[in-house]
Amino acid sequence: MAQFSLPQNSKIEVGNYFKDKTNSKNLRKINVYRWDPSTGKNPRVDTFEVDMDNCGPKVLDILFKIKNEIDPSLTFRRSCAHGVCGSCAMNIDGVNGLACIKSHSDINGDLNIYPLPHLKVVKDLIGDLSTLYKQYESIQPWLKVDQTGQEKTELKQSQRDREKLDGYYECILCACCSTSCPSYWWNGDKYLGPAVLLQAYRWINDSRDGDKKERLKKVADELKLYRCHTIMNCTNSCPKGLNPAKAIGSIKKMLATS
Amino acid sequence: MQNNNPLSPHLQIYKWHISSLLSITHRVVGVINYFALIVICIWAISLFFGENFYQPFENILNTFFGKFLIISLCWTFSFQILNEIRHLAWDAGFGFDLKIAKITGVITLIGSFILTILFYLVGRNFF
Repeated sequence: MAQFSLPQNSKIEVGNYFKDKTNSKNLRKINVYRWDPSTGKNPRVDTFEVDMDNCGPKVLDILFKIKNEIDPSLTFRRSCAHGVCGSCAMNIDGVNGLACIKSHSDINGDLNIYPLPHLKVVKDLIGDLSTLYKQYESIQPWLKVDQTGQEKTELKQSQRDREKLDGYYECILCACCSTSCPSYWWNGDKYLGPAVLLQAYRWINDSRDGDKKERLKKVADELKLYRCHTIMNCTNSCPKGLNPAKAIGSIKKMLATS
Repeated sequence: MQNNNPLSPHLQIYKWHISSLLSITHRVVGVINYFALIVICIWAISLFFGENFYQPFENILNTFFGKFLIISLCWTFSFQILNEIRHLAWDAGFGFDLKIAKITGVITLIGSFILTILFYLVGRNFF
């Protein structure tokens, strides 16, 4: 049975309030989830008053401003800052997304920033994604061909077959979709989740791959696949505008018709 | 160490979308309908046993609470039927587009109330 409430050690407490020191007129309250493994205390939500007149347009800019000017201990992952690497995936205003491409002007009122939902927190906004990576490994996300040794030749793909991968190969594995899925929250250890299933479909659908049947057989499992109830939180949250729900639906359809 | 790390908040902070709202409603309504069908079967069987058995049911259903219950069940069945059509379309591979899914969701929600009213009017021999 799924546990809907947070365990005792995860209950969120009221944190510190960082008052503005720049005397700016254009202030915004930013609530950020904080947890420091070295203190042994429960997580808390700190509130920062941020001067918006001197701040970049994206949510990541706010986080950098806080880290540079207010509290250097704030911890978060980021790398490219252009929506390509998927490192800065977090829960912004109740929806998962990439902080680097989410404009803070799109959000009204106070800004709430949490780590990706239902993950073990490593520190502050960093969640532990190792289960997801293991599941990703389990679908064997590489090209499998029967060719051996010297007879290896170039694998050609027609334009039409290549187009079948559009909307799937763009996935950057930021885990926004998987961690937005209630089914994945309750059965994350067994259910593969939207991100991994979208990847599974990407390999099933690749005309160059020689292992389609095996791949389908592997994924056809009551828990691995059919925990998807088309809640569509995944598609709603994907920062790249992809459609994991459709990918999962396509796998189900393939299984039903093959 | 790993197990002592806190769990990040999920249900507590995640924003509801129409799709997730309809999904959980579908499930709750499904459970309600399951029990409702059992009660409806008992009600139908009670007809066979004559007036003495049937009368208590009739009395309950004629109270305000009984009427509320019947209309509520009309809604739960309407909602389930319409949302199930949506699921059938999904199973056939249609309607996954985010915009379309939102539109069909709203149609389902509004349609379920319209269908409830129709059920009620048909039951009252309005037509």
